[in-house]
Amino acid sequence: MQSSNNPVQAGPPSGGFTKPAVFTIAAILAGFAIELLTSGSGITVPGWPFNFYFLALLSITIAVVGLKFREQPLVSWLGGIPVGLSLIIGLAVLSLVGGVVPQDPAQPGSLASLLRLNGMFSSWPFAFVTLLFLFNLGLSFVWKTVPFRVANLQFILFHGGFWIALSCGLLGTSDLQRLVIPLYEGQESSVAYEMPSEKPVRVPYSIYLKEFVINEYVPQLALYDPADDKVIADKSNMLPEAKKGVKAEWSGIATVTVLDYLPSAILDDKGNPAPALHKKGVSVVKVRVVEDGKSYDEWISDGGPDVKPRFIPVGKYFLVMKAGPPKAFRSDVMIKGIDGERRTELLEVNKPVDFRGWKLYQMGYDEKAGRWSTMSLVEAVHDPWLPAVYCGFFMIMAGNLLYFWKGVKKMEAA
Amino acid sequence: MNLNEFPLIALAAIACWGLGSLLQIPARKSKAFQVSSWLLLLSGTSVLVVFLASYWIALERPPLRTLGETRLWYATLIPVVGFLVEYRWKIKWLKYYCLGLATFFLGINLAYPDVFEKALMPALQSVWFIPHVVVYLVAYVMLAASSVSGWHNVLLNFRSKRSTVSESMSHYLALLGFVLLTFGLVFGALWAKEAWGHYWTWDPKETWAFISWLAYLGYLHLVARKTDPRSLQWYLGLAFIVLLVCWFGVNYLPSAQNSVHTYSG
Repeated sequence: MQSSNNPVQAGPPSGGFTKPAVFTIAAILAGFAIELLTSGSGITVPGWPFNFYFLALLSITIAVVGLKFREQPLVSWLGGIPVGLSLIIGLAVLSLVGGVVPQDPAQPGSLASLLRLNGMFSSWPFAFVTLLFLFNLGLSFVWKTVPFRVANLQFILFHGGFWIALSCGLLGTSDLQRLVIPLYEGQESSVAYEMPSEKPVRVPYSIYLKEFVINEYVPQLALYDPADDKVIADKSNMLPEAKKGVKAEWSGIATVTVLDYLPSAILDDKGNPAPALHKKGVSVVKVRVVEDGKSYDEWISDGGPDVKPRFIPVGKYFLVMKAGPPKAFRSDVMIKGIDGERRTELLEVNKPVDFRGWKLYQMGYDEKAGRWSTMSLVEAVHDPWLPAVYCGFFMIMAGNLLYFWKGVKKMEAA
Repeated sequence: MNLNEFPLIALAAIACWGLGSLLQIPARKSKAFQVSSWLLLLSGTSVLVVFLASYWIALERPPLRTLGETRLWYATLIPVVGFLVEYRWKIKWLKYYCLGLATFFLGINLAYPDVFEKALMPALQSVWFIPHVVVYLVAYVMLAASSVSGWHNVLLNFRSKRSTVSESMSHYLALLGFVLLTFGLVFGALWAKEAWGHYWTWDPKETWAFISWLAYLGYLHLVARKTDPRSLQWYLGLAFIVLLVCWFGVNYLPSAQNSVHTYSG
């Protein structure tokens, strides 16, 4: 391959790195100085409509400066690659601090707290670097957009998308509402709680919980060794599933065959099961144990809140049943708007429901009660800036696709 | 197949790759050895592909949940990059690095076997699960190949044997890796919105994904600024360390105590 085909060629640099690096470091130090002076109070993004005004002002300033003063050395320096690169490194370094130091409340007076290292992404240094980066990114976007050329489309989509997603995502945080609504079966609620303050908030709708259901994975069988307090896997090195027909062998100890499995039943005093409704019963399994040439059939269970587990002694071990982890959990709800609109919905993890600008999520349940929980936690999220951020995401992806296509074409030509 | 067969499968793959690599020596002069060598090299990877497929069936879920499972994909995919690079650029040495890395990852899985676990927590049962993880894995594979190629170029430059073809290859691998990294990041954000309520929460894994993305974004801007490609080989070699922290290291950081990604440990 000729050196002219090398996509990574040396050439005259478009400006030194020293000044941009000093500029970025100065911005970071100024941010930390403010944090020190304010004991790490951080920056609070103004809410609607002031965040929108700020965004509009920033956009107009960038457009005017970019178009009117393009030839000014300072402006071309501010929108150049060296400044952009220094700010990218600045963002990466600050993110690195935020990615190592726990972003939780720290001891007051500690260095992490005074410099707000424990709240890096709402700190002044992060805000300064991001703002300067948005300025740099915005200028380069304006220069590539005016005058418009199809050849610049990939640049415009990627840089414009990143600008929109970053600016709207960060400025929108003050308008983002994430509330938790505890619901109880057979009851209706319109009271949500801000987390972690647990401050109650009334939402403009109410939710009635008809039923909360958890589906679990099939339970497993295990041989428990009380002497060592450990579970012994079978010959296949796995915990066998309690499915009808499954055969498990613990070499030299016993062979167990699952004869029957009832996901919800009640065992009587003699250990015989009777089918029961989902929340009334427990999982039960009938097993045939062959031990030292003797064979016997028994029911075992992992128990529940009011039902003791039932297990079988096998030599010095116990054959026990281990409940399966939750496979899915969902709330059957009726959502009522303040104008009387009613909607029956099924809230499930990964399947949020939209209701008048709010997204409702199946968040959790009473984990102590497990599948017998009658309480469901629903998260209600209101994020008016989401469409703008998603617009940014899709622009990034479109620009990315073009970049891939152009990259492959260049690679083919190389 | 399940994990009981894994040691045999891993050793078979390593043996095929090892023997195939050895046969590359006489393959320079003999067509028969060349064919045998490639058959063995491809068989090593095919064994892993078959294992992954049958393991997927046995698990009744995509084997993409644990770090061990991602290492298995990685060990399967990275030799493919080495083979494709040889096909595209006629560069033979990259495949040996790739096979070495794949063997190393299989070795980790042999030393620290996974537990056969069918369960997949509800948040992971999403249409985004496979695209998000697979796109990231392929990106990591590309960027690892770009990194080893970067180190190789650094060595070549030390020995005054600079290869612009090889520099070109590391660049395109990094470029493709960055494109996939970007898709992985955005897919993750879109999934997070559907599963956890918000697209970005500065969770430690997200933060490190952002840092690694910025690292490669920095690389592409250095390229745009026409930085000396010889210096960029160092950059590519070192940038992968950030990805490794994002992939494995995050779980060991103090910030990761409450991460939603700790399930992948």
